[in-house]
Amino acid sequence: MNLPTTRSRLAGAAALALTAALSLSACGSGSGAHAAGPAAVSKEASNSPYQGTVLTKHFDKPDLTLTDTSGQPFDLRRRTAGRTTLLFFGYTSCPDVCPTTMGDIGVAMQKLPADQRAKIDVVFVSTDPQRDTPKVLRTWLDSFDKDFIGMTGDLDKVKEAAKSLGILVEDPVVNKDGSVTSSHGAQVLAFLPSDDKAHVLYLSNTDTATFAHDLPLLAKGVAA
Amino acid sequence: MAAGFTRVALTGAVLAAVLTAGAIAVANDGGSTPAGVKLSVADPYIPLPAGGDGMAAGYLTVRNTGSDADTLIRVTSPGAGSVTMHRSTDTTMQEVDSLPVPAGGTLQLARGGTHLMIMGWQKPPTVGDRLEIDLTFAKGGTIAVQVPVKPLTYRPGS
Repeated sequence: MNLPTTRSRLAGAAALALTAALSLSACGSGSGAHAAGPAAVSKEASNSPYQGTVLTKHFDKPDLTLTDTSGQPFDLRRRTAGRTTLLFFGYTSCPDVCPTTMGDIGVAMQKLPADQRAKIDVVFVSTDPQRDTPKVLRTWLDSFDKDFIGMTGDLDKVKEAAKSLGILVEDPVVNKDGSVTSSHGAQVLAFLPSDDKAHVLYLSNTDTATFAHDLPLLAKGVAA
Repeated sequence: MAAGFTRVALTGAVLAAVLTAGAIAVANDGGSTPAGVKLSVADPYIPLPAGGDGMAAGYLTVRNTGSDADTLIRVTSPGAGSVTMHRSTDTTMQEVDSLPVPAGGTLQLARGGTHLMIMGWQKPPTVGDRLEIDLTFAKGGTIAVQVPVKPLTYRPGS
């Protein structure tokens, strides 16, 4: 049985490098800096039971309270305390990366036994709160999984929360054809129930099989 | 892939059904296609848009078995207000004017990468609908593809 616990707590310098790289990484194809990020931690991942990228810096769950899809305040830390949490930043009029990522997670979630599924919160934070009203967000999330949690509200708070995780979020841009483009890092962060910190990262274009492999481990809170 | 198309095609009772299955359409520009470019389109699909605004992505593969490179220069649809070419980058999407189709190679429009962005549907799409997408190439003329609307999480081969 391989249960690494303290191994991944090493690297101060590597963590810094990763944080820098994360702010640039998201959607698959990319720059040199993007390539350097995951590569820096891939050795760690090879010793881990997880197929996702194991983080050397364990980000705190952001202190973020926004509106949920029922229109009520949602305090991320309080509501997901002690629960496995997957966190993703995106917007609903994103045609490619956001629905692909949420769909891949949704398919993997549906393969889980009910008791494991009940242990995982999937939280989507809107990077386009002006258009992503609670109702719009609910309709969109329901396409993937009716249990997915949506948060929308003050974009400055969203940016701050994302920044604390090394994820870039910029102001949405309305194009001349009426479409909206929001720049946002598209990685998924997985927080473990043991310490409510992020331990595993899923880059954009992570396939369903990887999520299907890792979700049961995350649900059980297996150390990364 | 091609095998999947064969299955679909075989279920069609008439030629029209085969054509609307649309997984492969060969360029036919009235015989004016230059000898060096030979294009076909495989595995086209549109995942059902998750949002009510109908913002959709379109994916397909253009194969060029010819010896000359070509370029996809324009995409239109009689059933949608606009179809644009986009590339997903590290954190955002960029619209592009054209996309290269290498000689003896493929242009892949796939999830998380280069894709079509479809807006302004004449009627809200549902799974099983087909949208005609007209791909215009610099040398190879225009290929009309009947692109099926698939479930949100569909991937070719799944």
